[in-house]
Amino acid sequence: MTLAPIIIALLVLAYFGAPLFSLILAVAMLGFYYQDINLMVIPIELYRITNTPLLLALPLFTFAGYLLSESNTSHRLVRVSRAILGWFPTELSVVTVVVCAFFTAFTGATGITIIALGALLYPALTQSGYPKDYSLGLVTTSGSMGLLLPPSLPLILYVIIVQQMNLGQAITIEQAFLAGVLPTLLMLVMLFAWGLWVTRAEPVALVPFNFTELRRALREAIWEIPLPFFVLGGIYSGIFAVSEAAAVTALYVLVVEVFIYKEINLKKLVKVIQDSMTMVGGILLILGVALALTNYLIDAEVPINLFEWIKQHIDNKFTFLIVLNLFLLLLGMILDIFSAIVIMVPLVVPVAMGYGIHPIHLGIIFLANMQLGYLTPPVGMSLFIASYRFGKPITEIYRSTIPFMLLLLVSVLIITYWPELSLIFIDH
Amino acid sequence: MHNLIALHTRLLQLEDIFLVGFLVLTIVLASLQILLRNFFDTGIIWGDSFLRIAVLWIGMLGAMYASRDDRHISIDIGMRFLSAHIKPYVQALVFIFTAVICTIVFWYGLQLVLLELEDGQYGFARIPVWLCESIIPFAFMVIAIRYFVAAILALLNEP
Repeated sequence: MTLAPIIIALLVLAYFGAPLFSLILAVAMLGFYYQDINLMVIPIELYRITNTPLLLALPLFTFAGYLLSESNTSHRLVRVSRAILGWFPTELSVVTVVVCAFFTAFTGATGITIIALGALLYPALTQSGYPKDYSLGLVTTSGSMGLLLPPSLPLILYVIIVQQMNLGQAITIEQAFLAGVLPTLLMLVMLFAWGLWVTRAEPVALVPFNFTELRRALREAIWEIPLPFFVLGGIYSGIFAVSEAAAVTALYVLVVEVFIYKEINLKKLVKVIQDSMTMVGGILLILGVALALTNYLIDAEVPINLFEWIKQHIDNKFTFLIVLNLFLLLLGMILDIFSAIVIMVPLVVPVAMGYGIHPIHLGIIFLANMQLGYLTPPVGMSLFIASYRFGKPITEIYRSTIPFMLLLLVSVLIITYWPELSLIFIDH
Repeated sequence: MHNLIALHTRLLQLEDIFLVGFLVLTIVLASLQILLRNFFDTGIIWGDSFLRIAVLWIGMLGAMYASRDDRHISIDIGMRFLSAHIKPYVQALVFIFTAVICTIVFWYGLQLVLLELEDGQYGFARIPVWLCESIIPFAFMVIAIRYFVAAILALLNEP
């Protein structure tokens, strides 16, 4: 058939930077064309975006995240965290990870965290006496922490796609957020232990707890302190649905940053809206066209055939998980997280479920691997962003990040082979 | 020519107004719905439908923005290895491909809207479905035009 040259042409176009949405569209169009289906199905599938109430969370949380990173929230957040944790060994590295996780959860691991917070945290770390390599590696690594915590956009996207596929096992976004808690804690503890180990010869001086500083820091950040409670508290307690939490957060952040702190003027607000919605538009567009492609793939029974084919070569769950880890790691190195999710989830989920893997657990595995992919040389995205942001050669970033990468690799393996870690809070 | 540039600036401003307006309206309306539902046990009947359609409109407007300066998500490994001589041609080819694909979606989107126009169903309140859907062909038309223009500019700028 004449399919091979077309596929090669599309791969070449992808290699030279053709937008992913247009490539996905091209594949979907070809598929529908060969099945004699009117291409009007594509706008119809795009319109299905309006059938997913959860998607409302996407523009709202992204907007809130961009607004926070454009104002001085990060400074205030770091100050409060330090005032609270200053007496704690390797306190600043813990603060770095926690604050970065907060920002990454809002914006997805898009590099914004490293760009917005790196300039603040990297000098602070080196000045406090942390080794240079350690500081650089930590800030780079922290840029993709927090993907498994609310309101992580990639996790929301994962759940939406799985829900659209009607696989017979209903999952909710609340379950996914619960599943992310212990794996994130595991990574935090491992990074903390590593920090202690690195500074064992020359421990970083502790800052004595100072009540006045805490009070000042709290007063300065008083309007932003309720935010984590809305988002985390609201979602985990079940008071807010995720899209409700998004609406409240967006409105609150808008009022606080524009009218109370007055750090964003109206002109800047328009810019923030443009930038954040450019990202949302890019994600929604690939989501929409991927829904069309998914529909075609399911019609053509591709996932079932894929499962049958893989089953001939891999007969047990554990081998499958190893192959899956390797595959996702490679994927995370070349694709950004949102594209990887919309393109691969429809194919991977049915196959993994065939091996008896819970879709929520798979989501956590998927994202944890993506997170690792961001740090994996030679083409992990966080590495390039850090190199650009800190003006360091990429080789220096490689060297300083490798211990962290290995650490996260271990945590990804634990997460993968210990399903209970993710599923313990979920009725399954 | 001068008038055309002025018109283009106006259109860009209109795009801004629509995007900002939709997002702010969405934030306010979504918050209002929560307030009404939890404290007054009521709500705006068409509110939730509006919000779901607003997400599509915001997304499509955002996608139009992303095509202003080719900020769509892509892999782009190869371009940096090309010589300055051949680069504009490859760039133009990639842009034309994108533009053609978008033109096809525009065309079928238009057919869908025309079909719905005959059908006369309502999306929410008194807003017909065809109007809600119309952003799809419209956005793809704008994206296609932008990528065609980008292709021409890439060729004109060749060294």
